[in-house]
Amino acid sequence: MNDTINPTNRLPLTNEDTVGPYYPISYDHDDGMDLTKSTIGQQFGAKGDKIILRGRYLDKDGNGAHGALIEFWQANAQGVFRTEDTEASPEIDPHFDGYTRHRTVTGGFQLKTIKSGTQLGRAPNITLTLFSDGISRLVTQVFFENEVSNETDPVLLSLPQDKREKLIARLVGEDDDNVPIYDIEIILAGKGETPFFDDFLALGWRD
Amino acid sequence: MEKLGRILRIGPTDNTSNERTPRENLRIIPPAARDSFLPYSRVQPGIRMGENDLTRLAPQMPRAEGDAIEMSGQILDDIGQPLRHALVEIWNANKYGKYAHDLDGYDAPLDPNFSGLGRTLTDEEGRYKFWTIDPGCYLARPDINRWRPKHIHLSIRGGASRLITQMYFKDAEHNDTDPMRIVMAEDFHLNIGKKYETPDIDVERGFKFDIVIRGKNSTFFE
Ligand SMILES: [Fe+2]
Repeated sequence: MNDTINPTNRLPLTNEDTVGPYYPISYDHDDGMDLTKSTIGQQFGAKGDKIILRGRYLDKDGNGAHGALIEFWQANAQGVFRTEDTEASPEIDPHFDGYTRHRTVTGGFQLKTIKSGTQLGRAPNITLTLFSDGISRLVTQVFFENEVSNETDPVLLSLPQDKREKLIARLVGEDDDNVPIYDIEIILAGKGETPFFDDFLALGWRD
Repeated sequence: MEKLGRILRIGPTDNTSNERTPRENLRIIPPAARDSFLPYSRVQPGIRMGENDLTRLAPQMPRAEGDAIEMSGQILDDIGQPLRHALVEIWNANKYGKYAHDLDGYDAPLDPNFSGLGRTLTDEEGRYKFWTIDPGCYLARPDINRWRPKHIHLSIRGGASRLITQMYFKDAEHNDTDPMRIVMAEDFHLNIGKKYETPDIDVERGFKFDIVIRGKNSTFFE
């Protein structure tokens, strides 16, 4: 351990490692890719405008990032994240968690959810974390085309214009129930690379 | 000048790492957006009886081939508070270095009594315990004869804490050429299970693997 990289009395963190190619497929079953229904078979559902986000993670050679784990995280229709600290808030939707995890087969995903509300100057967005073979984790946020609040969102504003475009999902149509469908392509490496964020630094890590 | 985040290292001799590691610096998260980047997981699956004993497919079934080992430890956040009731998932190769996973094409025998999957929840003190089979190493790059040293995969999630990592074994064969071990450099020791004796239980030996995960109380400092 090196005191210069850990100037506080915090314990040294266990190193993250790659998820490898064999994350158990069966562990995926407890998570769902429809966040609009918290309990299957009930009429209750999440408040808010339903959307479908379709995405694809592509590697340096344009191949899909198969066998990777994606974590999704977003605020509810009021723009409030459901955490320990907000659980008792009147703005919490009891039928919306905003969190799920999904193992890719060929690199793509389809998430049915609601568009998060705007709060604290944030545009509607979904945080995507990728755990994959070959890398420990990659974090970014995806936004939606034609949202006025995109113009003032601090994450988008922190990026050069050409990089902002990479994080905006495009409206491509709607499904049979008139739910709008958005598409995003996330390029992991090389030409047209998507911007990723350093959440270690954000959370108190320094190296 | 614009302040940028880390450049991620590519694991040497790891093809997937080369294909999937971003080449540009990571971006610093603007202060106003920091909280939004920290997921909170309420997911708690139903755990089956005996699911933390990987040495048998079910409590009354025969033992898998190889040495049964215990793996146990405590999960803390970086200020030393236990991570209670968190989901711990592990998976590892069998005695021969073969996974039962659909996609593992490695030419080694499957053991019909070993699925290599285990799950449990941590207790009030953040402790967990598994029994599994001492895993074999496997040939990851036949073209250059590069092996993966034996290891056990773990995924942990509970509340604001999530970690995906691997436990390694002290001085094990092929440790030194492992891409992620090389990337971890002098911090590799944090990912090694510490061996202990297990005279009173039905396993050959134990490995203590204590884990520290960033918690929600981690704060930003410049
Ligand atoms: Fe592995």
